[in-house]
Amino acid sequence: MRVVIGEDLFLLREGLVRLLSAHGFEIVAAVATAPELLAALVDEHPDVGIVDVRLPPTHTDDGLRAALRARAQVPGLPVLVLSQYVEQLYARELLADQAGGVGYLLKDRVFNDDQFTAAIRTVAAGGTVLDPEVVRKLLNRRSRDAPLTRLTAREREVLARMAEGRSNAAIAQRLFVTEKAVSKHAAGIFAKLDLALSDDDNRRVLAVLAYLES
Amino acid sequence: MRHRLADSSDLELAARARQLTQRVQTLTQTRHDAVDTATAELRRIERDLHDGAQARLVALGMSLRAAERMFATNPEAALALVTEARETSSRALTDLRDLVRGIYPPVLADRGLADAVRALVLDTPLHTELDLDLSNEVEMPVAAAVYFAVAEALANAVQHSGARTVRIHLGHSAGLLRAQVTDDGAGGADPARGTGLAGVERRLATFDGILAISSPPGGPTIVAIEVPCALSSAKTSSC
Repeated sequence: MRVVIGEDLFLLREGLVRLLSAHGFEIVAAVATAPELLAALVDEHPDVGIVDVRLPPTHTDDGLRAALRARAQVPGLPVLVLSQYVEQLYARELLADQAGGVGYLLKDRVFNDDQFTAAIRTVAAGGTVLDPEVVRKLLNRRSRDAPLTRLTAREREVLARMAEGRSNAAIAQRLFVTEKAVSKHAAGIFAKLDLALSDDDNRRVLAVLAYLES
Repeated sequence: MRHRLADSSDLELAARARQLTQRVQTLTQTRHDAVDTATAELRRIERDLHDGAQARLVALGMSLRAAERMFATNPEAALALVTEARETSSRALTDLRDLVRGIYPPVLADRGLADAVRALVLDTPLHTELDLDLSNEVEMPVAAAVYFAVAEALANAVQHSGARTVRIHLGHSAGLLRAQVTDDGAGGADPARGTGLAGVERRLATFDGILAISSPPGGPTIVAIEVPCALSSAKTSSC
């Protein structure tokens, strides 16, 4: 799998290169500024770009903007955006084109390399991966809405995992239940929220997020 | 004739002198408050770092050192310590993130006041209507003061008012940067209680800004903030 990395801090950039190389990813470019990143994403057409939100030249959200511009030029180009903090505003901007192939994670999720590389593969395959912190904020915002209060505690748990972009198998493993139990919960959730249930993981996460963001 | 002219200019001078004296008094007070606020803020940051991230980094170093010693004799216990160290480093990052948000919210640094307030609204568990009418970019120190004022008013509406809907207006008009946070809650908010809004008011005063609250029993509660454009905008003429 071909990867482009955009990270300005030398230690973190080298750390990512080392980690991903060790897991068999091919690093086609590892750059330190937003203009270089945009060029690498558009020219190299990687399977996935791993992007720090904050990059030179302005050291604000240049990395995020470069990722959004690259996706405007190459629709659906998979990008996994990393940041020291997560914002719903930025998650919305990344998800706005509904094209999938988007990830948005806190930087310290890199510590768990199994989950991190699984997230990279999901995004590269066109899936959506959202940090649990973003999902927590999304759910918190809607916590007083009637349809969500009708969910059981377990259903809310499953809803949160679905919004993070996890498959039934991953949710089942996490909650120590069978996959069948998870799909039953999912059906219950979609019925209570009046959403159309889909077997496609990515369509499902987009439906959940669209509901939570509305 | 000449006499009278001299009289009127004497009067003008006296009036001007009174205005200046008053201005100096205001500036002395607000400067004093600003220094106090800044000092208290630095103390808080120092304490948060000391008790939070610094303490966790010490614990992290100790776990790693213990793991180092056990590595040869008891690799399983060493591994458990390394895992613990990784978790501690995550918690240190969480502490630092919370601290940074309190000093300077990331979206405010990235995008300025309008998007920072948009982001604030997205994090609010109340139906919130946002009406933005900013004719130009607000300078950073004022943007931060107004952001924290709106954040405080919004937090009060969420926590105390029992409101269902909040309306935020933020815009430039008549030489002023104005922000207004209105909720349809129970009202009766007492600005004297709690230090949140008082601190916000002191911070705004540094920019000749004011904060006013109207909260009759039964509501609505309106928090209004005004800062003169001359001090809040990079391009003063068009504000």
